[in-house]
Amino acid sequence: MSEAKRNWREDLKVFRERMGGLTEEKKAYGKAQREIRKALQDALKAGPRTVPELARETNQPSHKVMWHLMAMKRYGELVEAGEAGDYVKYALKESER
Amino acid sequence: MAKIKERYDGLVIGAGIAGMQAALDLAGQGYEVLLVEREPSIGGIMVGLNKVFPTLDCSSCICTPRMAETAHHERITLLTYTEVQKVEPNGAGFKVTLLKKPRYVVEEDCIGCSKCELACAPIVPHEYDYGLGARRAIYIPHGNAIPQVAVLDPNYCVFDGNCAKVCPTDCIDFTQRPEELPVEVGAVIVTTGLRITPMDAKKEYGGTKYVNVMNPLAMERVQSSNGPYGRVLRPSDGKIPRSIAYVQCAGSRDKSIGVPYCSRVCCMYALKQAVMIKHGLHDTEITLYYMDIRAFGKGFEQFYRRAKAEGIRVVKAKVAKITEDANQDLILRVELIDEGGRVAEIRHDLVVLSQGLIPGWHAQGVIPVEEDEDGFFKIPQLAIRPVKTTQDGIFVAGVAAGPKDIPDAIVEAGAAAMEAAMYLERTRVKQAVAA
Repeated sequence: MSEAKRNWREDLKVFRERMGGLTEEKKAYGKAQREIRKALQDALKAGPRTVPELARETNQPSHKVMWHLMAMKRYGELVEAGEAGDYVKYALKESER
Repeated sequence: MAKIKERYDGLVIGAGIAGMQAALDLAGQGYEVLLVEREPSIGGIMVGLNKVFPTLDCSSCICTPRMAETAHHERITLLTYTEVQKVEPNGAGFKVTLLKKPRYVVEEDCIGCSKCELACAPIVPHEYDYGLGARRAIYIPHGNAIPQVAVLDPNYCVFDGNCAKVCPTDCIDFTQRPEELPVEVGAVIVTTGLRITPMDAKKEYGGTKYVNVMNPLAMERVQSSNGPYGRVLRPSDGKIPRSIAYVQCAGSRDKSIGVPYCSRVCCMYALKQAVMIKHGLHDTEITLYYMDIRAFGKGFEQFYRRAKAEGIRVVKAKVAKITEDANQDLILRVELIDEGGRVAEIRHDLVVLSQGLIPGWHAQGVIPVEEDEDGFFKIPQLAIRPVKTTQDGIFVAGVAAGPKDIPDAIVEAGAAAMEAAMYLERTRVKQAVAA
């Protein structure tokens, strides 16, 4: 491992400047993500849901809901909770509720 | 980063299955090999596949041991996230310029713990899952990646420093810059592999317009247990598909898209995917719309018959157009050849376009070799020296030389390593005589 402790806070300032800073585009991307994530979490607090159900309740396109659910599942916030017809039901992990 | 020497016997460009095999076979004969890969992990396309045909072996299970062997070989130096900028003849060997891209992570210090990834806020479509899964702005390339080292994507970084705050080895390095590395080599083996034909090559198939029209590599990921969904679902709404269509020759044997040749693997990968889906979803109907089934390799014809016996429908037909209905189901307008050319419209939940193989990389301006009209490397003596390019000392293997399957790519890689070894030996003798 490198000998001296890295001064990453100073390095980060320079890096941020060099990469063009936190652009409006990046801010908007993050805000949109947080909103849809929050809406999905709120809807799932009422119980397990399928993708079409969540799309209806959150008024979001179903493919976006699908993508965010799979991201939540990958990072351990979500589990499968049975099936309803041709759809899988998803539930918040107990620790996330 | 591994310590780079000034000179190597062999340079292998591309660390997919062909490149790893070529490097292993050259290093196994006692030569020092530098293996360069542009992606953050070695393993290429193969490590992301679900199964291989016709044996149905788990692809990553047979690829990862080869990856580990390559990474740990005492005579192979591995440079990932590095591109070749220039290869110039220099006496009997070559002068090479490499560009090491910044990971913003110190490779030898990162322990692959994922703490940075879990602390990172932005969620981003993951290239490894063809956009169907997610990663963070800083991420370990994937579970089977070698090296297990994080990489930071500045395009999505929000500069909150969370990664550096949680890193237990203090390995996040925001000061990294692209680094040019000069090196001399005796011989070169190019194994730069493939891309699939673009999904918008045939506009009438809606490959980039409809979410449920998938590319075959994305379907491999969807079928993989470590894939984006962990089971087969359609991307538009997570429905378990009950009716799936494969459109064969969707990106090959078609002059209108500039790919007049047969890609050689699409019939078999489509049949393999169909069989694997059927094993998991017994009631799902799977139909292959094909022009010809080309099952020419060892065990292929038997596999084709097995697929039909397991209930895969193979229909000789030409798909003219794909449209989407209100439920995001897909309507295929097809000409059914065996029914006298009757035109029908058939609904499916999900469609996979069996895209063809095109070169993964072009040498122009970088390596002094000629390409064929189709973009694959020119092989002047195809019949008797199938891995020799137009430049002495530069050899080619795998799909860089033309479409082929995994076993054929491995055989060629071995041949290229042998040719490179003979070239190095001839050069050594010539130099000894001259001295």
